[in-house]
Amino acid sequence: MLDLVEYAVKLASDLGASYGEARYHGINGFTIYTRNGNVMGSGITSRRGIAVRVVVNGALGFAATPELTRDGVRKTVEKAVSLAKAVSQLMKKPLRQDDSRLGRARYSVVARKPFDSIPLDEKVNYMTGLWRNIQGSTKEARIPVLTVTYNEWTEEKIIVNSDGGYVESSIPRITMYYNMVVTSPAKGSLQRWEQLGGSGGLELLEKWRLHEKLPEEVGRYEEILFKALPPPTDPVDVIVGSEIVGLVVHESCGHPSEADRIMGREAAQAGKSFIKPGMQGSRIGNEYATVIDDPTIPGSYGFYLYDDEAVPARARYLYKEGVIYEHLQNRFTAPFYNTRSNGAARAMDYASEPIIRMANTYLKPGDMSFEELLESVKRGVYIKSYMEWNIDDERWSQRYVGLEAYMIENGELKGYVRNPVLEVTTKSFYSSIDGVDRNLEFYAGTCGKGEPSQGVPVWFGGPNVKLKNIRLRSTVG
Amino acid sequence: MEIYKRILKEALDKGFQEAIVRVLESERTMTKIANSEPSVVQHWRSLDIGLYLVKDKRIFIAEVRGLDPSGTEYTLNQLFSIADKLRESELYAPLPEPGKPVEVGNLVDKNIDKYIEDPSSLAEEVISTAHEERIDYIAGMIDLKHEKEYIASSKGFEGMHEYTSMESYIRAFAGEEGSGQWSTCSTKLRRDKLAEMARIAARYAVDSKSRVDIEPGIYDLILSPMVFGNLLDYISYMASGFSILTGMSMFIKNKPGDKVASEKFTLIDNPHEPELPGSRGFDLEGVPTIRKPIIEKGILATILHNSKTAAKFSASTTGNAGWISPEPWNLIVEPGDYRLEELISEVKKGILINNNWYTRFQNYVEGEFSTITRDALFFIENGEIKTAVRKIRIADKLGNILRNIDGLTKERYDVKWWEISYPTRAPYILVRGVNTSKHTI
Repeated sequence: MLDLVEYAVKLASDLGASYGEARYHGINGFTIYTRNGNVMGSGITSRRGIAVRVVVNGALGFAATPELTRDGVRKTVEKAVSLAKAVSQLMKKPLRQDDSRLGRARYSVVARKPFDSIPLDEKVNYMTGLWRNIQGSTKEARIPVLTVTYNEWTEEKIIVNSDGGYVESSIPRITMYYNMVVTSPAKGSLQRWEQLGGSGGLELLEKWRLHEKLPEEVGRYEEILFKALPPPTDPVDVIVGSEIVGLVVHESCGHPSEADRIMGREAAQAGKSFIKPGMQGSRIGNEYATVIDDPTIPGSYGFYLYDDEAVPARARYLYKEGVIYEHLQNRFTAPFYNTRSNGAARAMDYASEPIIRMANTYLKPGDMSFEELLESVKRGVYIKSYMEWNIDDERWSQRYVGLEAYMIENGELKGYVRNPVLEVTTKSFYSSIDGVDRNLEFYAGTCGKGEPSQGVPVWFGGPNVKLKNIRLRSTVG
Repeated sequence: MEIYKRILKEALDKGFQEAIVRVLESERTMTKIANSEPSVVQHWRSLDIGLYLVKDKRIFIAEVRGLDPSGTEYTLNQLFSIADKLRESELYAPLPEPGKPVEVGNLVDKNIDKYIEDPSSLAEEVISTAHEERIDYIAGMIDLKHEKEYIASSKGFEGMHEYTSMESYIRAFAGEEGSGQWSTCSTKLRRDKLAEMARIAARYAVDSKSRVDIEPGIYDLILSPMVFGNLLDYISYMASGFSILTGMSMFIKNKPGDKVASEKFTLIDNPHEPELPGSRGFDLEGVPTIRKPIIEKGILATILHNSKTAAKFSASTTGNAGWISPEPWNLIVEPGDYRLEELISEVKKGILINNNWYTRFQNYVEGEFSTITRDALFFIENGEIKTAVRKIRIADKLGNILRNIDGLTKERYDVKWWEISYPTRAPYILVRGVNTSKHTI
């Protein structure tokens, strides 16, 4: 396969491209779907192909093919070059790439328990057993639906570009999703959906402990359904659980720090950013507001060591002690900032162009225990998990609706709160932080961006965070 | 293109008792625009193979992309070797008897092929048309596709579906805050639709340049086809039998015949509209497609089914397969009798919303959701637009939105974009008394 990839890059240069890049990208996956303890079906995904990117007369062309032959690659390179040439007449500012030092490397993630180390029927038993385990976890409420999806997949890439980059990689990952509904004729219903994910093998299933976690959750959800009270209407201190903190930093720090978004490249899709060119160094929060995006965390769902432009990955401090510090860059945005790429270019599959993506984004934890954080609250609300959320297209006004939430009185949890709504601006969130504990937890997600839309694996996380003096809203329900 | 028949034979020879093979052959060029210039032009020549296989009531789905024939053979071997280790699917139902595909016709425009080769003049036209208004810049995309789909099933069905499509959306920016967005779609190369899209987006951008804050609360909302089209995505998703089975639908408590919306609202799934790219004569199980109301004059009329979900509901397939999950083809809202100005004149205190994104549910069963507006918003008082306003959320129950529809325009638009998955023909729509929300700090 390497010879085809190298051929593509050489041909691009021969056809007049000032930059050429080819990526063999293969994804092989296996999925099982269950509903209420029954298998619905299973599936195999096999996507293999070569993607080509070229710069011709300052315009960017991309073409992809699943035809893994010299002829197929030739046609693909010719198409990328001819299309770039055709639209180059409309370019006002020609593109150029930076002079990053590029990797020449091979790496792979080695699963402790490979996918085939457990027979398939055991995997099926694992999944159907989750339904059995939650039976009897409620007193009055019913659980009409529990769906569980299991997906194991391996991503393989060979990346070569005309600036000397060459990277081969192989990363296995597992992800699971579950969706459950808890209902009562008198009280209505409550829904929980969650994704888990990581790089590695079947050892991840042991870590996630779903057989213990789901029955515990179901019991709590029944109590919330029957006992939860509306949130307080006056301003209170709010402890935001790490699950929500992770989403907050992903949405309101990671996304607005993408340099392509700041420069308007995604303006008609995922939108622009409240961060404008020249705002590095501006204050966005207080000293607790340090947000890091690090692709190199072992076992993470967003793990990689070199990006799809062959740039070495490293931790990026997006906000540092309350200041907008560093943006996520690729080799084509970096020159506009007089800097070099920090290795953020990723593509979903061979049919996708590499664009700037987050990997594993988290708020820096502190030293306190959760109990100490709790003790510091006289009257407030602890929001542990969420379902509904959204943020505007400049990443400024954001909303998170709590699922599992508690009143806090004199440093102790006292009863459940129903659907508290945390609706704040980005600056308000990062400026209202009054304490963070040391419990750094990560959560998995599939982040969407680009056109055609690309979903890539990410982690997001953080510690539990205390916000001062927040007015919560209620939902219409 | 005999590959699909060969793969079907291989699957049955291997020992699968039922099978469907779907081969998608397509050529596609997408031009992305940012800052009023192309940011990238992307091209795909694809051959995607989909397999639906059954052995002893165990269901397998495979997606194979690649032209290497050994790829499908390997996949078939792999699935056959594990078939006995899985369990019977609770969704299993025998494949339905195939019918004669409906002749939809007029779904291919050879003009599109020409612009797949070189879309630069279309990009230039869209950019220059938008700039006829006093805007600063535009972003967006033009997506051109020519696709052939071949399906063969173990029930003896063989069918070919061919269509071309043009999909496009543009977002225009004017001044510090002004922005407007619009989209369009067609099976033809429609320069008139591209120009109309660019003009509407640019007009909204210019008109929304000077904005003021608005307090959240209860308002009458006029939702543009872009906004309502996004909500229709969720409404039609919830009308799928699979969504009901998996707890992802507010219709879990309903049956056809129940009143779920205002009597002024009728939503049709029409796979036979030659202008819309979702049109087709047969579904993925080889069943002829039919035009059907999903909601008719406020009454839930049809739950969308394939043969499997139909069996679970003791119903019949509606020709909407999806091998696992049924899906609509083209969503069409029946028009009302208002002009937009007349709809605005019906509003005492309300907001007209151009666009939205990021619709998320707290609970699909209850229909509790919120979505955040983007682009132009206008405050309406006593039947007149008073001023452009800043972003706000719609935060309500989807059921309330449906029940409180009080008016629709005669004029409808064909829309599809990032936040609208299915080709949709929708009017502007007036919804009374909708809850809105906004950040508290």
